[in-house]
Amino acid sequence: MASESTQGREPVIRIEGLRKSFGKHVVLRNIDFEVMPGEVVTIIGASGSGKSTLLRCINLLETPDAGHVWFHGQDLAAEHVDVNKLREKIGMVFQGFNLFNNLNVLQNCTLAPVTLKKASKADAEAEAMRHLDEVGLADFAKSPVTSLSGGQKQRVAIARALCMKPDLMLFDEPTSALDPEIVGEVLSVMRDLAKDGMTMVVVTHEMEFAKNVSDKVVFMDQGVIAEEGDPRQIFTNPKKPRTREFLSRYLEDKPDQVQEA
Amino acid sequence: MGTTQEAQEPSMEEEKGGLVRFFASDHRYVLLGTSVVALIGMWFSMQPRSSQSFLANAYALEVVMYYALMAWVVVSLVALVTKLVHWRDYQQKSPFAKPAAKHVERICSYVVWLFSAVLFVDRAIMGFVAIVKSAVGSNANPQDFVGGMVYMVYKGRGIFARGIATTIELAVFGTVIAFFLALLLVFLRLQQIDRPDNDFVRFLKVIGCGFAKVYSAVVRGTPMMVQSLIIYFAGFAVLSGSGMSTNDIRAVWSTFVAGLVTISLNSTAYMMEVLRGGIEAVDPGQTEAARSLGLSQWQAMSKVVFPQGIKNSIPALSNELVINIKDSSVLSVIGVFDLMFATTTVAGIYYRQLETYIAAAVCYLILTMVASKLLSMLAKHLDAPAMGPALSSSEVAVTTGIAGSADQTIKVDVDHTEDRVRRGGM
Ligand SMILES: Nc1ncnc2c1ncn2[C@@H]1O[C@H](COP(=O)(O)OP(=O)(O)O)[C@@H](O)[C@H]1O
Ligand SMILES: [Mg+2]
Repeated sequence: MASESTQGREPVIRIEGLRKSFGKHVVLRNIDFEVMPGEVVTIIGASGSGKSTLLRCINLLETPDAGHVWFHGQDLAAEHVDVNKLREKIGMVFQGFNLFNNLNVLQNCTLAPVTLKKASKADAEAEAMRHLDEVGLADFAKSPVTSLSGGQKQRVAIARALCMKPDLMLFDEPTSALDPEIVGEVLSVMRDLAKDGMTMVVVTHEMEFAKNVSDKVVFMDQGVIAEEGDPRQIFTNPKKPRTREFLSRYLEDKPDQVQEA
Repeated sequence: MGTTQEAQEPSMEEEKGGLVRFFASDHRYVLLGTSVVALIGMWFSMQPRSSQSFLANAYALEVVMYYALMAWVVVSLVALVTKLVHWRDYQQKSPFAKPAAKHVERICSYVVWLFSAVLFVDRAIMGFVAIVKSAVGSNANPQDFVGGMVYMVYKGRGIFARGIATTIELAVFGTVIAFFLALLLVFLRLQQIDRPDNDFVRFLKVIGCGFAKVYSAVVRGTPMMVQSLIIYFAGFAVLSGSGMSTNDIRAVWSTFVAGLVTISLNSTAYMMEVLRGGIEAVDPGQTEAARSLGLSQWQAMSKVVFPQGIKNSIPALSNELVINIKDSSVLSVIGVFDLMFATTTVAGIYYRQLETYIAAAVCYLILTMVASKLLSMLAKHLDAPAMGPALSSSEVAVTTGIAGSADQTIKVDVDHTEDRVRRGGM
């Protein structure tokens, strides 16, 4: 949907020839990849195929060995780029939530805006309450984060990222640490976010989400992008045997998802 | 009451736990345990009375108590014999196991405890009071051990008070100063090269981290006694190099100031390692989340990681105050008038070393126990993880209790604690 309307515009993220290894272990080999404004891209693939590393290279939590990552046309890999400034525009949601344990829910959301944007505390709190309301947790603003369930924590983490008004949101398996029955509450928040036109890159094993919400699916295999394209095409008629193998194995493991899909 | 229930009683009671319950609830142990108490009471009764004894005026009462205790011991013996004879079906056969009898036994056991306690107070406590009274009123140092000790502590009370005050000042101020210096140092120690840093900042970070490492190694690798001598004489040399007269130097660079500097600088190194352990136990995901929002390394450290790391470190940090109370004793080598110096002074006056040093040990023990108690109350107030055994553990359990993992405990190896405890040995 979004891909047609964004023809000819600048990509939010453009990655070219990205390589990354940990010691001798090559994790990403020659990745090329683009995300247009408003696009929702899901990255799927077996564990260890380099999905997280790719995501973390986008906001430079990992430093690429070679290649370029352009964010709005600015090369992040250049020496002495102010990554802090760039990261303000790139929100990230982690598998393990990573909420600040020393702060309550509201403080989690206002810490970065108050520290970095010099927003007044009142403005930041008003903005944070708006986002907490969006994720359905306004009542928990004063709660310590320890008192929340996993699904609530992840929704706070999403609200916290949104408070910085990011141009791009990265999700690294946001539902993998959650019990199956509460995965839905996080996915529905993400679905709303996609509907509002947020540009998103989502690493996930939720095939139903990948199929129905994303504009593009990227299948990673052993450090390369094995196949990418329209979700309907990938899920119904994958071109590469590796993709077919992965999907069939995946859907076999989770028979309930076959029906949903 | 069914017999099966009766038979199960002991194990159930033990499960509920507690020494008190053990003695109070199980009737066999009421008999046995309380018999020991009764024998102790009888032993006290056989001791000579002191001048302060209040039972001296109530001789009849003491005789009654003595024979009551003896009666209890006899009854217990009978019960024990009955039990040995009927070891198979004791619960049913023995008259001592009847519920009514057990009730009476319980009440009698309380009386036995009361009598023994009265005898203990009369002989032991009032005996000590008598010794104190006579020692305090005495013109010459009493020959007996406790009397001599009390006499010397009393006569030297001004000296001891000054020594204790100095020891407390050194430990408290030293620990507080060291805490802030350690915060600074651990901040340097944990610096990592970050992408936005320019070459100058990178250079500073490398220097800062290296300095912290060297500082920690040198301070923890040398005895505090040697450090205090070096610091004292180095300060003296520097000031006299600037042309001050010896008297002026003594006014500025007193032994107390030199001692405080020593204990602060020394404790800084240990506290830095404690803080480092606590901070490194903080989930790296916390830093990642902070950095992903655009916070700088410094902002992530100061707003997110340090608060959690310091909280993790509170038990081991407060242990440092207890250690400083004890270890400040080595500072007497440069002439700091602390408790150790005061003790040596008093011992020198009366030429009775053993008694005075035992008195000093008691003072140190009281100080450290009070400090531990206050600190654990403070820690509870701050909702920090509970304080472990204050003096002995070589590992400190650091709870990441604030996290979503209140029950998850990370063992942080604070590798120096052991050598720390030994560091002051003279
Ligand atoms: N910090 C790291 N140090 C060393 N190896 C790493 C590190 N991070 C990831 N790896 C390795 O890189 C590979 C890809 O990891 P990752 O990107 O997390 O895969 P995925 O997210 O697809 O499961 C894995 O084999 C993992 O062991
Ligand atoms: Mg991963």
